[in-house]
Amino acid sequence: MKVSPRLRLTALAVTGSLALTGCISSGDEGGSGDDDTITIGISLPLTGDYSEPGKGIQRGYEAWAAYINENGGLLGKQVELEILDDQSSADRVASDYERLINQEGVDLVVGPFSTRLVIPAAQVAQDYGFLFVEPAGAAPEVFEQGFDNLFYAAPAVADDHYNYLADHIEQMPADQRPETAAVASMDDPFAMGTAYGLKDRLEEMGVEIVVDEVYPPNTTNFDSIAAKIADSDADMVVGGTQYQDAVNMILALQQLDYQPEMAAFSTAPTEPEFESAIGGNTEGIIAPTGYTPHSDYPTNKEFVDFYTELHGEPPAEDQANAWTTGQVVAAAVEAVECADPDPECQQQLIDWLRENEVDTVVGPLTWDDQGRPQGAHMIQQWVDGEIRIVLPEDLAEAEFIPVKPRW
Amino acid sequence: MSLLLQSIVLGVLLGGLYALLAAGLTLYFGVMRVVMIAHSAFLILAAYLAWWFSTETGIDPLVSLIGTVPLFFVMGVAVQRLLISRLNPSSLTMMSVLLTFSIALVIEGMLGFVWSGTQRRVRLSYGGGDFEIFGANIAVVKLIAFGLAAVSLLALFLLLTRTKFGQALRATIQHPEAARLVGINTDRIAGYGFGIGLATAAIGGTALSLDATIYPSLHWHWIGPLMAIIVVGGLGSIPGAAIAAMLLGLGQSLLQIPLGTTWAQTFFYIALFLTLMVRPQGFFGGRLAQRF
Repeated sequence: MKVSPRLRLTALAVTGSLALTGCISSGDEGGSGDDDTITIGISLPLTGDYSEPGKGIQRGYEAWAAYINENGGLLGKQVELEILDDQSSADRVASDYERLINQEGVDLVVGPFSTRLVIPAAQVAQDYGFLFVEPAGAAPEVFEQGFDNLFYAAPAVADDHYNYLADHIEQMPADQRPETAAVASMDDPFAMGTAYGLKDRLEEMGVEIVVDEVYPPNTTNFDSIAAKIADSDADMVVGGTQYQDAVNMILALQQLDYQPEMAAFSTAPTEPEFESAIGGNTEGIIAPTGYTPHSDYPTNKEFVDFYTELHGEPPAEDQANAWTTGQVVAAAVEAVECADPDPECQQQLIDWLRENEVDTVVGPLTWDDQGRPQGAHMIQQWVDGEIRIVLPEDLAEAEFIPVKPRW
Repeated sequence: MSLLLQSIVLGVLLGGLYALLAAGLTLYFGVMRVVMIAHSAFLILAAYLAWWFSTETGIDPLVSLIGTVPLFFVMGVAVQRLLISRLNPSSLTMMSVLLTFSIALVIEGMLGFVWSGTQRRVRLSYGGGDFEIFGANIAVVKLIAFGLAAVSLLALFLLLTRTKFGQALRATIQHPEAARLVGINTDRIAGYGFGIGLATAAIGGTALSLDATIYPSLHWHWIGPLMAIIVVGGLGSIPGAAIAAMLLGLGQSLLQIPLGTTWAQTFFYIALFLTLMVRPQGFFGGRLAQRF
């Protein structure tokens, strides 16, 4: 029998549609078929380069789900987390969210860790009309993709992390302000966002940028960068860093006897291992942070108590961001009274978050049209051997040290 | 001027460390035509053992060398006898890439399993210490690493040129069949050669741990530059690797001043590319490789 090309194409289209429908409907049965649970799909970097923060985020999500379930659940239903490992791979994270939505039939999805993984994940969520609240994509790129379903569950985007510090320097008497600054940043959207946000503000107020270095993420040797900074003898050093590069850079600077009056590094100074890694010489080092266990936002005490009981130690920023993501999703679900993959429900959740403020452990959050939170990070500084909030002044736990002691 | 002098000092110190880290890699290829992708994973394993030893006992990580050097030698002999020697000789070089790639993955996974992915650093009282000579600062830890490299490479050179075992090893490298004909047990010698290569990894990894933050996947960042060094130096030539390491370390350090970090790092790969185009046997290899 001869089959015309048109008939073949039609048959292919019909088979494809049936297969696709089959996938989606079988998925529905898998995840949300059970009326007593709400399944939330997440892909996280549990192995690979981002495994440490990935596991931190996982602990935050799991603690939030356990807390919700102990307190009557969401809309009276138990919350179940469906967590996949994307191995820190941007290709894998997209297929993971495809799988969560199509095959596992989850009711809701929330975001992974890191800007690099958030963007492909958010694209999949957008394609299926899902709400996408995420705990870790702070770089400007995330908000320039045209997503209308994305909300970053933290106080501020990377560019704004140092705003309080910049304001503080601006208000200092002219003769006490740093005159020169050296900026070194990892070639990473988040790290560069933080460093260049501050660099732009410093330039605006007349501080001369004497070193401006960007290094690849796989850099293992910081001697030459440190040599340039030491040679410039800049009053202030700004590092757009993750953990290991900040530690390596600080030690390389110490080895060259460079003593800045101000030293600000993103990410590393708030990590528990930081003090031991740089040999205890932390006094005066500055870092922005979106969270502190000591803050008195209404739900924070419950979070810290619950988490500490669960894990034997207070939560850090990663766990807080995951918990905050849970709080944001829960607020929308409770307000709209629906939590299912139906596009209408998802759109209602998105619309509600566009219009409303949510109280979280990192403070009250609202967002602009691209999902940028409308807040600011606090500034922490190592004071008397502990990392303490020093800015803004109304939240300060210790006084800002204007001239950093020797390291 | 002081930046230039400082960069030269840093480049020489870095070159010394590179030479130590690359020595074993060129030895494996010289002895057995094995491309040992797992060499840098063993470096990181040694660094972890030094860190763990130092954390548990509070003793300087350099003391861990007493245990790790013999341990790595035995592991090297075992890897060669149990795994490498079973590969088909006609496809040895290619298959060794796959085999040692999988060994690297196993080591990385094991490090993550035992000590988690958290970045670690040895806490040293002299970690940030330095002294000044002619306006250039020299970090104590970098000088120790350089000293370890110099002593190890000299010992390796003397072992290969002044001992009977060294003669047998060189004979195995130059002409395995002729070596067998004069009664050298080339299989055993190859095993020992591999063991010595891994013993250098124990020293290199410990030197690395003094001044680096370590994490399980760090070895992927090292294997590329180390491969570039041994190709530029001439595969199999230890002096070649040492000279290439010194030149590339210095070049990287000096290029950093006008070009920045990204281009300074690319220098390694440009050197690798040019070597393969112009002189595939390496700039310091060839006859030099035969003589050590």
